[in-house]
Amino acid sequence: MGSGNTLDLVNPCPPGYQPSSPRTYVVAADPSLRVQILDIGLACCSLEVGSAITTGLLVDSATVPSPDHGTTILLISGTVTDALAPAVLRAWEQVPEPKAAVSFGACANTGGPYWDAPSVTKGVDQLVPVSVYIPGCPPRPEALIAGLRQLRDEITVN
Amino acid sequence: MTNSIGIPAQAHGVIALTASACTSCMICVRECPAWCIELESHDEEVTEPGARRPRTVSVLDAFTIDFGLCMYCGICVDLCPFDALAWQPDFDYAAGSPSGLVQGINELESWGKSRE
Ligand code: SF4
Ligand code: SF4
Ligand code: SF4
Repeated sequence: MGSGNTLDLVNPCPPGYQPSSPRTYVVAADPSLRVQILDIGLACCSLEVGSAITTGLLVDSATVPSPDHGTTILLISGTVTDALAPAVLRAWEQVPEPKAAVSFGACANTGGPYWDAPSVTKGVDQLVPVSVYIPGCPPRPEALIAGLRQLRDEITVN
Repeated sequence: MTNSIGIPAQAHGVIALTASACTSCMICVRECPAWCIELESHDEEVTEPGARRPRTVSVLDAFTIDFGLCMYCGICVDLCPFDALAWQPDFDYAAGSPSGLVQGINELESWGKSRE
């Protein structure tokens, strides 16, 4: 507890942390695929998304020429709790059209290991319309790229 | 060591089933911490000439793993007494709906086959 009546432990995030501003990446092997990553470090799955970036499967959109048009994908990974659900919704609302949401990992897909937990959202499709569900706990970084390509193929066909 | 799909051959990508090896013993179903395996079977009697009594055998009717819930812990693979479950490195099975992540005998048997 802080001095007076204020409570210190209000925001567990480090200073400068911006949970509502996703960063944009493109698939290295396929720069027409733009992905916005809602990086709120929700849980273990975010390490695999990070690994897709550090291994060069995903690259910062500022460093490669990529068409501005095309679908922007919001990638949601990790354990979304009902407390964090508004942040996910806000991020989705901020993604420009045309857009699609991809769910990465068991927690985001269905609640996963937290299927019976009262505080965990039972799949992010309760919040946003999800186009592709990537299985795994966690999925490999390569599974992310495969799922994004699957989404692209569906968009192209439709 | 990597395989033809470019990732380690021992990677825990998906769980494959050899249905002919499964005795419907239910150990995996009961021990799965995510309760994401479902199994249906029925018993049949096999009568052999000169046998003391008919033998009862379990016949597997349905076996599904819900990869939307699975936590990839491998307990089912480790505990199966008949080696009917095995890891395969495949990762490319995303679906357009959560129900698309529920896989039955046909899909579970197909994993790894293309690389044999
Ligand atoms: S799906 Fe598994 S690895 Fe991913 S956040 Fe949930 S518990 Fe962690
Ligand atoms: S890996 Fe674990 S969670 Fe998945 S089916 Fe096997 S026992 Fe269940
Ligand atoms: S533990 Fe093995 S043999 Fe027993 S039901 Fe499961 S897969 Fe079949």
